[in-house]
Amino acid sequence: MYRYDEFDHGFVAERSRQFRDQVERRLAGALTEEQFKPLRLQNGLYLQLHAYMLRVAIPYGVLSARQLRKLAFIARKWDRNFGHFTTRQNIQFNWIKLEDAPDILNALAEVEMHAIQTSGNCIRNVTADPYAGVAIDEIEDPRIWAEVLRQWSTIHPEFTFLPRKFKFAVTGAAEDRAAILFHDVGLKIVKGVNGATGFRVYAGGGQGRTPYVAQELAPFVPTARILSYLEALMRVYNLHGRRDNIYKARIKILVNALGIDEFRTQVEAEWERLDKSAIDLPAAEFERIAAYFQPKHLPPHPHKDPHIEQRRSIDLSFARWLRTNVLPHRAPGYAIVNISFKEPGKVPGDATAEQMEQVATLAERYGHDEIRVTYQQNLVLPTIAIADLSRVYDGLVQAGLHTANTELITDIIACPGLDYCNLANARSIGIAQEIAKRFAEPEAAEAIGPLRLNISGCINACGHHHAGNIGILGVDKKGTEHYQITLGGSPKDDAAIGDIVGPSFPAQDVPGAVEVIIATYLKLRRDPSETFVALYRRLGKTPFREALYGLDRATAADLSEDANV
Amino acid sequence: MTSVVTANDLRSGAAVYLSQGGVWVADLDRASVATSAADRQQLEALALAAVERNEVTAVYAFDVAIVDGKPTPTSVRERIRSAHAPTF
Repeated sequence: MYRYDEFDHGFVAERSRQFRDQVERRLAGALTEEQFKPLRLQNGLYLQLHAYMLRVAIPYGVLSARQLRKLAFIARKWDRNFGHFTTRQNIQFNWIKLEDAPDILNALAEVEMHAIQTSGNCIRNVTADPYAGVAIDEIEDPRIWAEVLRQWSTIHPEFTFLPRKFKFAVTGAAEDRAAILFHDVGLKIVKGVNGATGFRVYAGGGQGRTPYVAQELAPFVPTARILSYLEALMRVYNLHGRRDNIYKARIKILVNALGIDEFRTQVEAEWERLDKSAIDLPAAEFERIAAYFQPKHLPPHPHKDPHIEQRRSIDLSFARWLRTNVLPHRAPGYAIVNISFKEPGKVPGDATAEQMEQVATLAERYGHDEIRVTYQQNLVLPTIAIADLSRVYDGLVQAGLHTANTELITDIIACPGLDYCNLANARSIGIAQEIAKRFAEPEAAEAIGPLRLNISGCINACGHHHAGNIGILGVDKKGTEHYQITLGGSPKDDAAIGDIVGPSFPAQDVPGAVEVIIATYLKLRRDPSETFVALYRRLGKTPFREALYGLDRATAADLSEDANV
Repeated sequence: MTSVVTANDLRSGAAVYLSQGGVWVADLDRASVATSAADRQQLEALALAAVERNEVTAVYAFDVAIVDGKPTPTSVRERIRSAHAPTF
């Protein structure tokens, strides 16, 4: 992984020192809240319902064991012994005191971490495929370019005060595992005509109040030219993005107002004007950064290990975990291990200090010191020898992290919701817990097959409800929490925004409604290979509306989507 | 409508309520209750003075019902804040 150089260390240490001084001045009354708020937000410190919340950047979701141990230390010393992995591959601490924040930033700086640009109208943490560097379908490791983008975008003088926040995602694989089409800019590494690599650039995606799937802006930008291209793109957005209306300030609004063709014309005109050589990355600098991401030397191992196969045949839980959470690795004899933080009944994405330390131990002992955070709020050990899978599993069992549900209905994405968040209208976590309990029987969840169920506590959509195969959005309906259900969304290559199925449900009825939706799917699917989203695209929402609201009401006017909230 | 004035403690960020004598307390039961617009304005003035003294931040008033003689939030959000804990 990338290691800080002297400049990086000095910069982060200086930011930490500045923030300590800012906090001291705030506590002494030399700064008002109005003056201080933008300063704390630039360091990832929010004020939530019960306490300050610190959002720590995990660049493209990559962590070392040492870093994860430090996060555990922070959770234990300054929080309530846990942290919450987020849908931007970051971690949040929910119970932070203002006066402790400078010490926490110092602790983070010791392991080359910080909270810069985890808030504010700037380019936020760049996300990437969590299987980067190990996926069998990868063209090129996207971490190198994610790191280039991180360095380019960090305190970029032009792009620190944009019309609104800005999110990049990068993948280098055939399959989109980074939800790039739901980002302001999504980048996909592709091969050009002569075998050279470049980026297919998508722009204008996003969720929130006005969801859009990103559109293709450029089919192929040579990798060596990507920074100047993105600089041009950002300039067009910075110039024309709306600053008069926060709800219309994201690039998705601009792209759709201008139309993708006009937006492209403006970006290309700006690109033409730029001094590209002053912006694009020199080859030597690319090589310097790429050197940190060289593939590990992995001695080849057999594809099958007799001890693993023997245990698989007698230990049903282990066999299920192998089926659901373990994926092929590009190197023979190795596997990708998904660690679920979605045990039914627990808080999605929450990790105790002890769990973080156990994952760090497993990464050190068996996983080449590599850990990834996924936007589904789980962790990944990207490189585990197949012969070690049994030992890794036993280690996960000790920490209660052996839940076998990756990409299944209980692998629920949920934002913190009204239990913590100042913006939320309704609770997410309790709803997630109740739904997960209904499908807690592992055989039942596995029989349903791949299914994304995502919950957001407000229209800002931190829980990615628009992109869920089943999406649940908390709304305030005359002072009570109600939940709108959407169907058919997808965050993948077949990206789609879910359709509102009908009027919202009160909280207590939501788990039952999900059970009805699943029962309808199981009844109507052609066979187990037809996934939920495939069936939805074949049949639409009518059978689900009939099942949820009754046959007579399914076509009635009172089921109009406008009547929901 | 009856109301109380709340804020977040500047140092800890915890939800606090304006009580008698301009003291900030964690326990909503002890909050001063405004029963008129004039009462409410008086409490808000006290709260803003506390903001000036850097004791609290994010001041606002919210509606309460009086149940068994105690101020009780009418919104889910304020019920969660006053419990100082998530509900799960």
